[in-house]
Amino acid sequence: MRGNLVVGGSLVGLVVVTALVSFVWTPLDPQAVDASVRLLGPTSDHLLGTDKFGRDVFSQLMVGAQTTLYVGIVAVGVAAVVGVPLGVLAAMGPRWLGEFVMRTSDLVLAFPALLLAIMLAAVYGASTLTAMIAIGVATVPAFARVARAGTMQVLSREYTLAARAGGRSRSWIAWRHVLPNISGMVVVQSSVSFAMAVLAEAALSFLGFGTAPPTPSWGRMLQESQELLAVDVRLALVPGLAIAAVVLGFNLLGDGLRDRFDPRLEARR
Amino acid sequence: MSTRPSALSALVSAAVLAAPLALAGCTAGSTAMVAGGPSTLAVGFTAEPQNFDFTTTDGAAIPQALLYNVYETLVKIDSDGRITEGLAESWDISDDRTVYDFHLRDNATFSNGEPFTASDVKFSIERVQRDWTISLKSGMDVVDRVEVVGEHHARVVLSRPSNSWLRAMTTRIGAMFDPNGVSDLANDPVGTGPYDVESRRRGDSVVLTRNPEYSRPGDPRPEPDYGTVVLKYYADATALNNALLSGGIDVISGVTAPDSVPQFEADNRFRVLQGTTNGEVVLAYNNRRAPLDDVRVRKALTYAIDRKALLEAAWGGRGKLIGSMVPPTDPWFEDLSGEYPYDPERARRLLREAGHESLRLNLRIANLPYAVSSAQVIASHLKKIGVTVDIEPLDFPAVWLQQVFTDGDYDMSIVQHVEPQDITTFGDPEFYWGYDSRRVQRLLSEADTAPPREYISDMREVARTLSDDAAANWLFLFPNIVVAKNEVRGLQANQVSEAFDLTGLRRQGSS
Repeated sequence: MRGNLVVGGSLVGLVVVTALVSFVWTPLDPQAVDASVRLLGPTSDHLLGTDKFGRDVFSQLMVGAQTTLYVGIVAVGVAAVVGVPLGVLAAMGPRWLGEFVMRTSDLVLAFPALLLAIMLAAVYGASTLTAMIAIGVATVPAFARVARAGTMQVLSREYTLAARAGGRSRSWIAWRHVLPNISGMVVVQSSVSFAMAVLAEAALSFLGFGTAPPTPSWGRMLQESQELLAVDVRLALVPGLAIAAVVLGFNLLGDGLRDRFDPRLEARR
Repeated sequence: MSTRPSALSALVSAAVLAAPLALAGCTAGSTAMVAGGPSTLAVGFTAEPQNFDFTTTDGAAIPQALLYNVYETLVKIDSDGRITEGLAESWDISDDRTVYDFHLRDNATFSNGEPFTASDVKFSIERVQRDWTISLKSGMDVVDRVEVVGEHHARVVLSRPSNSWLRAMTTRIGAMFDPNGVSDLANDPVGTGPYDVESRRRGDSVVLTRNPEYSRPGDPRPEPDYGTVVLKYYADATALNNALLSGGIDVISGVTAPDSVPQFEADNRFRVLQGTTNGEVVLAYNNRRAPLDDVRVRKALTYAIDRKALLEAAWGGRGKLIGSMVPPTDPWFEDLSGEYPYDPERARRLLREAGHESLRLNLRIANLPYAVSSAQVIASHLKKIGVTVDIEPLDFPAVWLQQVFTDGDYDMSIVQHVEPQDITTFGDPEFYWGYDSRRVQRLLSEADTAPPREYISDMREVARTLSDDAAANWLFLFPNIVVAKNEVRGLQANQVSEAFDLTGLRRQGSS
């Protein structure tokens, strides 16, 4: 059980550190094109070789981590900030409001996130921001559901009933009892959604609807490697493994955190 | 205008086509083998025709499949850019260059059995003027009238001399139709060419079979070697490559993943042909909008981009540096690629003269591989002279056409211009270049009516003026890369016409 937390945490930590370091230092300029060194294998100058533009793959990978985390943080942030209050409101507000919120979120859930992102990209142009917003909007229902379910649980607890009997207002209960008690679930959901956001951004960039060149993005590195598969598999392996590692990391982290936070598992500990 | 077949005709054709399709072998799925026996050829493409009617539907895919193969023209263009005989065995041009007398083959026949005669020439040319809707039809505006002199003698009278008209007759607008064969152009093309459309599976393939009416006794043109040609369509370059490697097709009509070519060159099962196209990959400068309305800024950017390195990095060094809007197969071609040698110092100086220490420009490109690749190299080169480039890939064609081409809302753009003689677009101040030069406009209009010798020198002058004005930056000429199995012979390296010409294809070893 602890293993998940440790492995997930270290994978995520590695990516976070890489991204932070890349703000101040990369081995080489990841955007510098140099036709004379294109498609080199790993050397001492280029730890992971170069791509078809002669750019350093290792530097691109480092800066790509920034893009990945940036997209994940903003998308999950948007989803949590909008989704959690909606979920709490759905559980605590009038019945018709709850129904309305949950049915709307069903609607959004039914709409594929990638399709939404491609539509937005077609209308507003492909950019990291469009991708983040689209992924964020598509993730709102997940947060609303988790928050609503958690709130319902909390509302049935004795201490909430006591607070209500004592004449405390709904907003006081929401602030004092509900939010602290569901925060663990929200953190777990964030970690899982983060992994999905990373995958979605990679997919969008692969399709050419995500991060615009020349900003390095793992998805676009994958796409650019596609026609070179027969020439050099390394170019596809490097970003592919990076994406896999991050997704695995956030999922394991999410599992580990759930084991820790989920009140339903409390009895087993 | 409708491109959708009625339910009834769709049903009928499905029933008719079912039997031969089964015989022609399995064409389902892009990885399937084409098991049609030794006289079947499968050619892979990436752009699929939406329908078969190029008189009302724009796009390169329809003439690529049908022109010269199903529809023939009076005159053809060969792979060196010369005009040669087609349905006309010979032609005379009057001294004032307005009357063209075409002497037609006397045994050409449409696939529906109707003989091809001078009245079909009259019908086809007048139909372009009357019924066609695509913009290319304007190439026929110069025709005043067509006379049927004899059964195999057609006379075309132009309203003024035109140097470009005969060349335009080698393109789709010169295709010859039968008055009884134009009722369902979108689905059932009727032409005099060596092949006839047998069947079509949307999203997968078009099957052409030998036209039994072609090459009747007395016709010197040989019968096609391949009885059946399957044109197979794939979603992307990688799928196309894999289809050839796995034996699903015999020929790749054009490789658009240049870095994948070495794997074919190293494999002795295949032959690689590399030639030229009409496609100039152009970095467009918005001549109408500051700061690019200043010729010094345009020159600075042109000096700052190392086109040789760009071609190497973006397109594997395949392609040709041209430095103008003229492909090498045009008679007025002149190599202007040395005009703006890579010189970042000079570029910085020019920028300073124009009053810019640094600049920020958007680069709104078609979301296509060659453009995305080139854009990244350009951004990297321009960064060195203090110009920040924001690359914005736009969905092609819809969004790009609207924002850049129609609205002219861009600083710089990259797209490949494939139309023959598209240098004339610089004579249109409304075109998205925003380039308004009296001199170029005058030269272009004079050139078309001038005697042939002056025509060439006028066109050269246009190309040079555009280069001097840095009206755009001609990055490179798109290469035509054909990969084929060894036994397929007769392929052309240069892609000059609008057609993927199947007529000369032979299987090695057959007579």
